Amino acid sequence: MWSFIARRLLASIPVYLGIILIVMAALRVSDPVNAYLGKNATKEQIELKRHAMGLDRPFAAQYVEFLGRIVTLDFGTQTRRYESWKYEGQNVGKKLAEAIGPSLSITLPELCLTTLVSITIGMLSAYYRGRWIDRWLMFLVVLGMSVSVLVFIVLGQKFGSSWLKSALGIGWFAASGYEPWLAWSKEPLWGVLPYPTRFALGTWAHYCLLPVLIYVVVAIGYDTRFYRAVMVEETTRDYITTAIAKGASKPKIMFAHMLKNALIPIITRVMITLPFLIAGSILLEYQFRIPGMGKLIIDAIKDRDFPIIQTFTAVFAGVFILSNILTDVLYALVDPRVRLS
Amino acid sequence: MVALGVIACYAAIGLWVLGTDAAKRLGERTGWWSVPASPLLDALTVERADEVVGAPEIPGFGIRPRPEERVRIAQSYLDEFRKRVNIRVRNRAEADQRAADAIAGIRFAEATPPNWPIAEFRERIKAALDDLDAIAEVGEVDRHPELLPRIEKVERDIASMLVAPAGVRGMLYHARLALGTDRQGRSILVRAVYSIKVAIQIGLVVALVAVLFGSVLGAAAAFFGGWVDLAVVWLYSTLSSLPDLVLLGVLVFMFTGSIFDDVTKPWLSLVPIYAAMCLTFWIGPCRVVRGEVMKIKELEYIQAARAIGFGRAYILIRHALPNTLHLMFINFSLLFIAAIKNEVVLSFLGLGVKVGPSWGRMIQESTPQVINGFYWQIGAATVFMFFLVLAFNIVSDALQDAFDPKHVS
Amino acid sequence: MRLVLLAGVLAVAWLATPTLGQQRVATIPIRTDGPKSLDPAQGSTQYDNQACSQVYETLLQWKYLVRPLALEPLLLAEMPKDRLNDDGTQTWSFRLRPGVRFQDDPCFPDGKGRVLTADDVFYSWRRLADPQYEYENWWLFDKAIVGFNDYKESQAAAVKGGAKFDYSAPIAGFKRLGDLEFEVTLTEPVYRFLYVLTQFQTSIVPREAVEKYRTEFATRAVGTGPFMVKPGDWRPGERITFTRNPNYREELYPTDLPTDPAEAARDRELGFLADAGKRLPLLDRIEVPFYVPDPPMWLDFNRGKLGLTQVPSEYQQEAFVLRSQRLKEAYAKKGITGHAILLLDFIFRGFNMNDPVVGGYDEKRKALRQAIALAYDLDEINQKFYNGTAIVYDGPIPPGLDGYPKDGQAPESYRGPDLEEARRLLALAGYPGGRDASGKQLVIDYYTSQSGNQEEQAQAEQRMVEKIGIKFNMRFVNFSELIEAINKNKAQMFSYAWGSDYPDGENNLALFYSRNKSPGSNAFNYDRPEYDRMYERIRVMKPGPERTAIYERMRDMVIEDTPYIGSLARYRYYLVQPWLRNFKPTEDFHNYYKYLNVDDSKR
Repeated sequence: MWSFIARRLLASIPVYLGIILIVMAALRVSDPVNAYLGKNATKEQIELKRHAMGLDRPFAAQYVEFLGRIVTLDFGTQTRRYESWKYEGQNVGKKLAEAIGPSLSITLPELCLTTLVSITIGMLSAYYRGRWIDRWLMFLVVLGMSVSVLVFIVLGQKFGSSWLKSALGIGWFAASGYEPWLAWSKEPLWGVLPYPTRFALGTWAHYCLLPVLIYVVVAIGYDTRFYRAVMVEETTRDYITTAIAKGASKPKIMFAHMLKNALIPIITRVMITLPFLIAGSILLEYQFRIPGMGKLIIDAIKDRDFPIIQTFTAVFAGVFILSNILTDVLYALVDPRVRLS
Repeated sequence: MVALGVIACYAAIGLWVLGTDAAKRLGERTGWWSVPASPLLDALTVERADEVVGAPEIPGFGIRPRPEERVRIAQSYLDEFRKRVNIRVRNRAEADQRAADAIAGIRFAEATPPNWPIAEFRERIKAALDDLDAIAEVGEVDRHPELLPRIEKVERDIASMLVAPAGVRGMLYHARLALGTDRQGRSILVRAVYSIKVAIQIGLVVALVAVLFGSVLGAAAAFFGGWVDLAVVWLYSTLSSLPDLVLLGVLVFMFTGSIFDDVTKPWLSLVPIYAAMCLTFWIGPCRVVRGEVMKIKELEYIQAARAIGFGRAYILIRHALPNTLHLMFINFSLLFIAAIKNEVVLSFLGLGVKVGPSWGRMIQESTPQVINGFYWQIGAATVFMFFLVLAFNIVSDALQDAFDPKHVS
Repeated sequence: MRLVLLAGVLAVAWLATPTLGQQRVATIPIRTDGPKSLDPAQGSTQYDNQACSQVYETLLQWKYLVRPLALEPLLLAEMPKDRLNDDGTQTWSFRLRPGVRFQDDPCFPDGKGRVLTADDVFYSWRRLADPQYEYENWWLFDKAIVGFNDYKESQAAAVKGGAKFDYSAPIAGFKRLGDLEFEVTLTEPVYRFLYVLTQFQTSIVPREAVEKYRTEFATRAVGTGPFMVKPGDWRPGERITFTRNPNYREELYPTDLPTDPAEAARDRELGFLADAGKRLPLLDRIEVPFYVPDPPMWLDFNRGKLGLTQVPSEYQQEAFVLRSQRLKEAYAKKGITGHAILLLDFIFRGFNMNDPVVGGYDEKRKALRQAIALAYDLDEINQKFYNGTAIVYDGPIPPGLDGYPKDGQAPESYRGPDLEEARRLLALAGYPGGRDASGKQLVIDYYTSQSGNQEEQAQAEQRMVEKIGIKFNMRFVNFSELIEAINKNKAQMFSYAWGSDYPDGENNLALFYSRNKSPGSNAFNYDRPEYDRMYERIRVMKPGPERTAIYERMRDMVIEDTPYIGSLARYRYYLVQPWLRNFKPTEDFHNYYKYLNVDDSKR
């Protein structure tokens, strides 16, 4: 297995070099310094900024320098600055790190809820295959898929927050914003494992539950169809026929046999979505002002905050590639039929 | 079947819009014909989609809004007149003539002012404005139902000053108001229908180019193997290690300020979106086709063809690619949906369509309206988009069932 | 594994709502993504101002309730005195208020805040000349103080050569007379220097903090002001929390009212004097969330979470009866009050005077610009995009200031719509019907920034000029690209706005001064020696009828040359909850958080 991981890592190096090359080049098509420094910017200021970012050096040198940063994971320390342009004095690394928590606090529940709900619906649908309940469920799913995400978000925000409050007096959901709901211990457990010391589930629900629910409604369509297809495929297998012949009850077949065997595609599906946990739900974060990775990158693109865009894309691509390798490894661990050769 | 019919309808409307737009352009340039002369032909051209047809935010289906809103609507019509009556001219003697000309120039689509003397206009406008002031004096109209008759009187006055013609043009005018107006007083219906063209254009171009490009690359990679395969796989794994939206954002950002960013050449303005989407979406078909061709390559008939001595390129084009056609169809319809949906999201983030109407822009412009409780614009854009995407969803399901029954998701 | 862990954790979770005790807390919004820096030397936007002004203090401030605006000492013991020197320079002498302390912070010995001295003032101002801060605010002192520019140049050269920036090198214009007394000598007698001293960028910062926190100083505020920002209380782009500074000196709520008796009466009626004489700040904590899209802010205000809100134009008709601009009963019944304040706004569409087509000063070029101006219907723009609430006026000087024409109408103007006249002038300019001699249509590159409303506005403008046969080549760019296009002389026409830095028409007249040409603030590249001479004269004059007369001459000269189409000034509308007290809306200064109070019985 280790040799497999090593080989995969080696193979992904050119891919990684490529993405950084493409991103760096694309970001330099129009001059980032001019784009950023507005009003009254003097030549002097532009030069200072360009020099501080190393943009006055040849592209190859910048490429090597940036690669160096990635290899050493140096996105700014107190003494060696690598700052956001917009927020002076704040290191890019720190900003990225701060965005992970809020992102996870909506993406993790999103993933869990969506998976649970859509597996349930998928199973129901597969169980009643061809009957009216299946038809209706699948029809609803397709209907949901045909409406733009934006409509769900815009209407969800209006009705979930303001309408609930003004018409029914229910103020559960904030219209937008975010407050940290987990406090972490200063002293990690066994020196490595930080553990949470305070949970404010109420706070979490107030700010995060509504976007999570909207996401579930949007995403459920795609996942349900997938899981139903998986389940339907399982029902045609011989072992199910055998089980039925042996007189096993239907629920038992569904849960004991089908679900167990369908676990592999399910896990694969979940694993594939893992890297996007970090990217977050860009539109939801943007609209609900949740300070996660998605909001960070869109804001940075809008603000022309060059160091953030460049670092975000590079780090994200790296995480993505690593998690792909991880998926393959886990896949092999779950499914004994797969050999890492 | 129904789905195909829906798609055909949309395509027909899209073609109609494209055709009349082009005909209008050609007619203007050559002088051979004049599209604006025919009310029907001119109904869905881009100029008509940008034209003011009434007061801002009128509800559709002829529904009467709250009294407060009705006052606002009346006010905005009256302002249009008042401005022209009060024209500031250095030479006082000309003032009346100028004002009369200006009034005659008022056009809310087909509706125009009648041929009255200017004094009459002055009088009526002043009377109506005074009425409005008196109404405002009493208090909030929503809470004073007894004011309704007075509002209705003002509305009748306005109706008499803005006359829709009889016949086809009159019907068209009412049709334009069928779904209400947006914040600028433009017809929501015309904009939503015109957006069909934009959506189909983007969907068609992106899906076609991405599928062809992806399939050819994928097939070539699988068939020739070696460094070609390496290069293609490298390229798509590289591009796919970023979320679509981020990649689209970076690419659109890259194109801003280029020669495509030129509004006098509107046909170029969509190029950055096309390019960004094609560069992002070709990966899907490329992967699938590559996988399929890998399998096909080992089949006996291909082996046989090679043994006979056909060239590799010939075999690829003549035998391998046609056998992936079903995959191309499926991918085409999936990408078509993806392109339409992404256009909407990009436009919402301010990175997408910039000239002319599109569903994305309509949804973006309707966000504050939703908070105020005006749902006509978001509703129209959603419904129009919904049927098209639904139809494509159904068709691609059917395609998948027909060609690739074992395929999961 | 992680999921299991999380599930276990959730099982023992409890709901924690922090108890507030008897603290007096208010939540008020900022309608963007907030400040980008808490370091006055690096701040520039209104939002940096809003954050810095609570923590740091300037030498002078504007009186809170008084209109028209009037100055008063803040860190000073009395208003500074000036004297003219023989060589034409002007010396201002200052005396600091004794006993002003910085807030407690680990950067001081024993963590106790130390007393403010004249050295702190000079240190803070010298920072604006430090290249480390990229000269973001150098324009405030540029060419103003004797020897300061030389100091900046020589230090810049030294830093380039590898030396450290020397904060102790002498500057001729800075003279320390004692711990609390000092003098500043200006290169020429410029009255606006006093305005500069109210600008938050000239706030006084402690050297210890800058040197201890270095670049992190931008996130760690250590000031003399009524509030503190504790570490972690500013989450960029999200929110900031201000906490009362327990060591704040004794500073009392003011009693001065506007000079206009009607306005003063309204202030009394609104209860602005209820807290008169009480010690500031009145609140223990102020939470400030930032809102980038408007809808959530509007929703949060209506839910009662926010104490006040600006009213975005989209929601104007929800809160106000449009015809009378009166607050709707639904709001008035809840005790909410509405305020409208006129901004020092100069919204215009500019021409690039260097452009071969639209620029130039001969009759033909002038006629072209005048024709376009006459095709514009600013009232329509006002109606459609500002709900008819903005003020359309002639000239570059916004309402309420000297040099603003009576009723907004200058004696001669080219304000449209007057299509006949526009067509006549267009023909005169050599473009009859919008086409040149060869029959080619006149197409003008028009740059405008891209935000929802702006694009719709541009389309409306396009329709206006098409009526006289001209076409705009619309360039929707984002704001920074717009600025770049202007700075690089790329834009023929551009949509732009200027908010006055201080309430004096001189600030707007400077926009046409040839020495400020782009990339300076003269985006028009307007260049008339005669105008420049007048500008140089008024710059050193004190307010008065003589100066106003010259303002008017300059204004009319600009109107005749038409380097822009305009102008519009917006009203900004505020709604205030009944439980938030003492909020008197203003856009000209932002250190008013200390006057705010809450009445929890009305929540």
